[in-house]
Amino acid sequence: MNKLFLIIQREYVQMVCKKSFIITTILVPILSIVLCGVLPVMLSGVKSEEKKNVAIVDQNPEAPFAALMTEDDEFRYINISALPTDSTLLDAHALYESARENQDIYALVVIPDRFVDNPNYNIYSEKSVNANLERNINACLQDAVRAKRIESYGIDSLESVIKHCSPRIKSTNIKWSESGEENLSSADLSMILGFALAMLTDMFVIIYGALIMNSVVEEKTNRIVEVIVSTCKPIQLMLGKIVGVALVGLTQLILWGILLGIVGMIFGISTMATVGQDMSQAATDPAVTQAVQEIQQSSEFSKIVQMVLSVNYTQIFICFLLYFIGGYLLYASLFAAFGSAVDQASDASQFTAPIMMIMIFALYAGMFCMSNPDGPLAFWCSMIPFTSPVVMMIRLPYDLPWYELAGSLALLFLTAFGILWLSARIYRTGILMYGRKFTFKEIVRWVRNK
Amino acid sequence: MYIEVKDVCKQYAGHVAVDHVSLSVPDGSIYGLLGPNGAGKTSLIRIINRITHADSGEVLMHGQPMTDDDVRRIGYMPEERGLYKKMKVGDQILYLARLRGMKARDAEAAMDEWLERFELTEWKNKKLEQLSKGMAQKVQFISTVIHRPPLLIFDEPFSGFDPVNADILKREILRLRDEGAAILFSTHNMSSVEEICEQITLINHAKVVLQGEVNQIRQQFKKNILEVTTADGQSFNYSLQEGETMHDAIARLNEEYQLTGFREILPSMHEVFVESVKSSNYE
Repeated sequence: MNKLFLIIQREYVQMVCKKSFIITTILVPILSIVLCGVLPVMLSGVKSEEKKNVAIVDQNPEAPFAALMTEDDEFRYINISALPTDSTLLDAHALYESARENQDIYALVVIPDRFVDNPNYNIYSEKSVNANLERNINACLQDAVRAKRIESYGIDSLESVIKHCSPRIKSTNIKWSESGEENLSSADLSMILGFALAMLTDMFVIIYGALIMNSVVEEKTNRIVEVIVSTCKPIQLMLGKIVGVALVGLTQLILWGILLGIVGMIFGISTMATVGQDMSQAATDPAVTQAVQEIQQSSEFSKIVQMVLSVNYTQIFICFLLYFIGGYLLYASLFAAFGSAVDQASDASQFTAPIMMIMIFALYAGMFCMSNPDGPLAFWCSMIPFTSPVVMMIRLPYDLPWYELAGSLALLFLTAFGILWLSARIYRTGILMYGRKFTFKEIVRWVRNK
Repeated sequence: MYIEVKDVCKQYAGHVAVDHVSLSVPDGSIYGLLGPNGAGKTSLIRIINRITHADSGEVLMHGQPMTDDDVRRIGYMPEERGLYKKMKVGDQILYLARLRGMKARDAEAAMDEWLERFELTEWKNKKLEQLSKGMAQKVQFISTVIHRPPLLIFDEPFSGFDPVNADILKREILRLRDEGAAILFSTHNMSSVEEICEQITLINHAKVVLQGEVNQIRQQFKKNILEVTTADGQSFNYSLQEGETMHDAIARLNEEYQLTGFREILPSMHEVFVESVKSSNYE
C-alpha cells in the first residue's frame, strides 16, 4: 500500500510540475475565452466597419419598395429608381455602370413592376452575392408585400385579425414528483447539462488515457520499468499510474474551474458596474422601475428559477462521479495495457484506433439519444459498459428507473474490474518484452500465461 | 550461502530459457554469471528478482524459500540502464530507495554520502537528461546499492564506463563485498572476472556448462605450457610431453639451456570461456 502511494505521488508530482501541464492549464481557459468570447465580438466588429452600397431600382409607380429598404450593419441601400431609364426595356448592366460612376456599388437590385402580384426580383452583381444581402432584402420585401396585400382588401383592422389567427404555441413541462407535487422542468436545460457532462467524460478519457499510455511507453523505453518491477508488483505500478494521472486530471479540472470562476467574476463585476450605472440613471425614470418589477413578478421569471432548481443535481452529480470513475478505470487500464505492448508511442495506433472509434461512437450515440432518451439505442448504449459512461450522462437528467441505473452501473464496474485484471496480466508481460510489434493474438497469449 | 538457486527451469513460448540451473552465492563474495548473448543469464536474474517466476525449481535465501518481501533485500542493476530522464537526480534516488522500503530521512542521509563518494553532489538537483552517460551510470549504481541490500545483482556493471570510472566502480564493489554483501554479476568482460570473481557459473543454451572457483577452473583448463626464460635473454613456450611432469621438464630444459626463469601459463578466462562455449555448442 505504501509503495502504491509512493508511485501515485511520483506520477502526480512529475506530471503536475511539467511545463506542459502548467502551460495547458493556463492556456486552455484563456484560449477558450478568446475563441468563444473575444474573437466573435472582434470579428463582428470588423464586419460593420465598411458598409457595402447596394443600388435599388424599383419599377413600381412611385417606387414604394425602394423607400422601405432600411440600412443595416452591412449594407447601405441607394435608391436610383429616379435615374432615367427606358421603362419597357431595362438594361441592367448600363444602369449598374452609370450608378458606379458616382460611388462603389456592390450589387444592383431590380424590383419589377406589379411586384405585389408577382414577387420575384433580381440581384445583379459581378461577384457572387453575400447571403446576408438576400436575407435582408427578402425580409424587407416580405413585410412590405404582406402589408400591401392586406391593405388591398380594404377591410378595417384586418391586420390585427390575421395576427390573432396565427397563434404562437408554447408548452410548459410539468413533472410529477413521487409525492404527486408538480414541478416545472426544462428539456433544454437537461439536454445541455447532459451533453456537457458527456463531452467532459469523453474528452477526459481520451486525453488522460493517452497520457497514461505515453507514461507507460516512456518507462518501457527508458528500461526503468525493470528496476521498478524488481521493487514492486507490476499491478501496483499500473494502478499507481492510473490513479496518479486521474488525480492530475482532477487537479487540472479544478484549476480550470477556479480560473474560469475568477474570470467570470471579473467579467461579472465589470458588467454589473456598468449596468448599475445605467440603472441608477434609469432609476429616476418611473417607467423603467415599473418594468423591472414586472419582470421579477412575472410567472416567466419564476418559472425559469423553478426549472433551474427542479433538476436533481445531487443525483446527477453522484451518478456522474460513479460513471466517470468506472469509465475512466475501464479505458485507462486498456490504454496502460496497450502502452505496455509497444516500444514507441507511435506504434500504439493499431491498438488505440479502436478505442478512439468507440469513444466517438459513444458521443454520437449520446447525441442521438438526446432526441429520444428512452429509445432502444439509448437503452442499449447505456447498458454496454464501453458506451454507458458517455451515453448515460445524457439520459441522467431524464429520471431513469432505478433498476436501469443500478444494472448499468453494476455492468460498468464489473467490466471495468475485469478489464483491469486483464490489462494487469498483459501489462505484466508486455513491459518486459522488447524489440518488435506484437499482434493481438500474442497479447491474448500473455493473458493466458501463468 | 546467501542465495541458492536450485534446479530452476523456465520456458517461454516453446523455447527453453533456463534449463535445470543451480548455483549458490555465499555472503561476502563475488560470483560471476557468464555466458554468450541469449544464453539465459537475464532470464535467470529475473527469476531471482521475482520479476518472472520459474516453471520449476526454487530460489532460497538463507535456506528459506524467497518471498515477495525478500525482494527489497536485493539491489538489482539491469543491463539496459534506465532512469526517469526528466526527474532530478536526488528525487530519483530517493524514490527508488523509498520504493525499496527505506525511510525518507535515512534515504536522504545515505544518498548524500554516496553522491559525495562519486563526486556527484553538485548534480543532485539537475535533471538526469543533463548528465553524461558515465554520470548517469553512477546514479544508477547508487540507486541500486543505497538501501544496503545483502544481495547485489549487477548485469554488465562495467559497460559504458571509462577506465578511470570503471576502477572507482570496482573499488566500490569490492568494498561492498568486504562489508559482507553477496554479489552476483553477469558480464562478458573476462578480465574483470579474473580480477574480482571468486566463483563463476558459465551458461550456454540455457544449461550450466562450467561451474566452480575461478582459480580451479583455470587450472583445469591449463594446457601444461611453460614460459621459459634463458640466460641469453630469450624466452619461449614449452609444451609438456605426454607423461612428462613439470619437474622433469624443467630439469631437462635446464640441462639444455641455462634457465633464468620459468612460469606455468594458465589460460585466461577469455580462453576458458571461448573453449567451453565452443565445445558445448558441438555437443
